[in-house]
Amino acid sequence: MKKFLAESELARDERFVRTKIEDRIFDPRGAKVAQRNTGPAKMAVDRPAAAERSRSLMHGIFVGEIQALEGAGRTCYDFTLDDAPFALKLDMARQCWDESRHCEISVKLGDHMGTEIGAYTESTFLFAAACNPDPVLRLCGVNRALEGLAIDVFNSMKEFGDESGDPILEFCEDWMLADEVTHVKMGSDWLRRLTEDDPERRERALEFQRTVDSIFNLGGFRGEDDENPIQLARRFRELAGFTDEENDSLAELARQSTEQAREMAAMATAALDQSGAGT
Amino acid sequence: MTDHSKPRPAFAPWDRRELPGLFSVEDSARRIGNYKWAEIALFEALGGWVATVPELDVKIVLGRHTYHHAWHAELWHKRLPELREMNADRMTVPPNDEFVRFVDAVREPEAPELTIEKLVGVYRVLIPRFIGVYTYHLNGTSTITDAPTIRSLKFILQDEFDDWRDGEMLLQSLIDTPEKVERAARRQQELEVLYLASGGIAGPGSLGEPDAAAQEVAVG
Repeated sequence: MKKFLAESELARDERFVRTKIEDRIFDPRGAKVAQRNTGPAKMAVDRPAAAERSRSLMHGIFVGEIQALEGAGRTCYDFTLDDAPFALKLDMARQCWDESRHCEISVKLGDHMGTEIGAYTESTFLFAAACNPDPVLRLCGVNRALEGLAIDVFNSMKEFGDESGDPILEFCEDWMLADEVTHVKMGSDWLRRLTEDDPERRERALEFQRTVDSIFNLGGFRGEDDENPIQLARRFRELAGFTDEENDSLAELARQSTEQAREMAAMATAALDQSGAGT
Repeated sequence: MTDHSKPRPAFAPWDRRELPGLFSVEDSARRIGNYKWAEIALFEALGGWVATVPELDVKIVLGRHTYHHAWHAELWHKRLPELREMNADRMTVPPNDEFVRFVDAVREPEAPELTIEKLVGVYRVLIPRFIGVYTYHLNGTSTITDAPTIRSLKFILQDEFDDWRDGEMLLQSLIDTPEKVERAARRQQELEVLYLASGGIAGPGSLGEPDAAAQEVAVG
């Protein structure tokens, strides 16, 4: 088996439908959707299509867990013990088991919520972050950026479970949240240990993390306002070792992304209006 | 009232443990170094394969087993310094080049249609041999002087049996045509030949020396 597997080579059965992130961003239906004023986007039980949105997000969590499992597994395999210390590999092996459980939990929660595997598409950009050839950058992208996002997502879903009176959803999300805090701590710990004498490498790793964070802020997906579906979980992020400065910086990035999304939606709406007036 | 001063034997009547064992400290360290090397090779491969198998149930089981074998490697890593081998890395080696060739062959399959080949290598060849070599070590080592190794062996063997059963059941559910039966058997045979050439996970004598045992019987 070769080292370093491309994102396109991820093995899936026939139920899975893969899409590219750019297909989603440049989906021509997006402008029409943006025209609808359906109120705040934050996950809440009183929102229109709350059940459908939660099922879609649950499926997104499920495919994310598969890719997180695959990414941790590849980190066990791709690097020699000279590149990645034995203890780091042990941490990644432990993460494999955790992500395996998360896959199992997500499949069962999907059933519980009334959806099935393949009901929604899969983007594999999460695994793309796990393809970085430098183990420190990979851990920063996966364990700090992506697992950090998982903290936000699980906390939002946990609150949604609480508000919607679904103790099973709330219970499971809380357990997964505990694991994700551990994974982020692993990432922070290894970043510190492996770059102790190499500030340049540390900065490259943090820059890679910011890039991955920006991708997941796209379209205002995450933030601290009601128009962000996923809310930044500051308290759990602090438990995972993120500093106040890091959380503030991420919140600022998220605000910028939300603003960009708002401008893009306004431009798209204007373009639609113009084309409508011209016909 | 109990008489506190009444002497009792150090060993209760039912405690039949004995001092002698088959392995010296050095023998034990050498074998454990070989075990650690093999467990690392196995958990790396299981982790790497997760992304290459399309079957969701197999993917999830491989993820779980990746951790089991990493934990075994960790237990051996911690045991080595206790056996006077302060540099664990020095002892973390394969027994010989033939065993490296065997492990390379086990880890070779990559394509998504080769799940049977991947699983046969692990669950019908390598893990049954781990069970063999660990059981031999467990039965042969001194039950008093080497008790820490015995404790690890018992934990590890429990995992090996459970993992073997998981993998074997996955294989039984995947092998659903006569052609696949042949594929699995062919793969097993190829790997067993390579394993035989290596003498085993700890090299020749992995399961003891049959000649020495025969001599003992003859002398007795």
